[in-house]
Amino acid sequence: MSLTAIGAGLAAFTGIGAGIGISIATGKATDAVARQPEADGKIMRLLLLGCALAEATAIYGFVVAIMIILFA
Amino acid sequence: MLNISIVNIVCTIINLLILYFVFKKFLFGRVDEILAKRQEEVDSATATADKAIAEAMAQKSMYEEKISLADEEKETILADIKKQGYDEYDRIVTDARKKGDQIVKEARHKAMAEAERAKEEYAGQMRDMVIDAASKIAATDRDKADDYKLYDKFINEAKAVKNE
Amino acid sequence: MKEMLNELLMEDKTLIHMPFGGGYFDIYASVVVSWIILAVVIVLVLILTKDLKVHNISKRQAALESVVMFLRNLISTIIGEEAGGYTDYIVTVLVFIGLCNMVGLFGFTPPTMDLNVTIALSVMSIVLVEAAGIMKKGAGGWLKSFAHPMAVIAPMNVLELVIRPLSLCMRLFGNILGATVIMELIKHVVPVILPAALSLYFDLFDGAIQAYVFCFLTSLYIKEAVE
Repeated sequence: MSLTAIGAGLAAFTGIGAGIGISIATGKATDAVARQPEADGKIMRLLLLGCALAEATAIYGFVVAIMIILFA
Repeated sequence: MLNISIVNIVCTIINLLILYFVFKKFLFGRVDEILAKRQEEVDSATATADKAIAEAMAQKSMYEEKISLADEEKETILADIKKQGYDEYDRIVTDARKKGDQIVKEARHKAMAEAERAKEEYAGQMRDMVIDAASKIAATDRDKADDYKLYDKFINEAKAVKNE
Repeated sequence: MKEMLNELLMEDKTLIHMPFGGGYFDIYASVVVSWIILAVVIVLVLILTKDLKVHNISKRQAALESVVMFLRNLISTIIGEEAGGYTDYIVTVLVFIGLCNMVGLFGFTPPTMDLNVTIALSVMSIVLVEAAGIMKKGAGGWLKSFAHPMAVIAPMNVLELVIRPLSLCMRLFGNILGATVIMELIKHVVPVILPAALSLYFDLFDGAIQAYVFCFLTSLYIKEAVE
């Protein structure tokens, strides 16, 4: 059990934050669409944007994990 | 993976700038030209349409003025004609009345003249009858009773002639 | 599996080895691939805008005009009124990054999988943002805008000058790296149908979204700096 493996595993934990954040955002987006169905184009665009930005933190964790595996 | 070489960064920056200039000159330049020309045509078309509408409105107001003036003229002409008609009517009525009066007067004159003539004729007939009676009386010798009888007969005949 | 990942990520990607003065110029494969993309795009643009007419346009010209107006509309709604002159550059970057991310379909390694390319892109973006701020407000006004909402936040604002491009660069790099690695793994395991179906998401959709997010954030920063 080398420490690199543990390090990489810990780095992959950043996915939790992204998952929770995006799920809450999607829930609120469906609430907004249910409240006003004709604005669903704008809401979908905003949701997509928010998800792409929130996923960045998860990706940072992924990149760090790969770097740990490959460089140490 | 983590090699950062300045050369490649500079190369990529140069690539981006080349792409930007090509896009700006060829893609956006030409497309913008076409869009501007189209916009210009639309603008000139709307401008001429606006001008035509303004002209049409001006002409319409001019025509409306003319129509209202024509209305007034019509009213004055009608009033004139009506007045003429009433005048004519009055004149005819007074003429007729005058003529009627004249006819009545003439008829009265004529009637009086007729009456005079009839009276004269009657007096003439009376004279003739008196002369006749007188001659008859003068021609016969009579006594007073025959005279009274003759007078009565003469008066009765005169009454009869008068009553005819 | 490890050798495949090694081959994808670790090896020195020098494609062209040009001698220059004392040392060598190493041109990486990513730059060569972006040269190929550039050539294709330039030829395409030259062909499509050959003779444009005002009325009675062909379908090709109508499609081209609608694409250009759609892209411009995407960016100009965010960048606002005053900074409208920067729209052209951002549309160029959008098209470039979008195409770079999608060459994974053709078997090349995407140029944006190289850290140098994304660093170059983010450096250009941050230089553009700061230049827009300086041209609008003047040098003194730009320095004062660091203390903009409150003076206490000034260190954060100065730090943002470094953090923004770093985040842009790492986001783009990490997304494309992850997509490519997963596609390689899938191709290794199930070579037949699954890659085609999944690459619809990973290559096309993800690539397009990442390009749009990059440009959206850049135009948001420009708008904020010029307001």
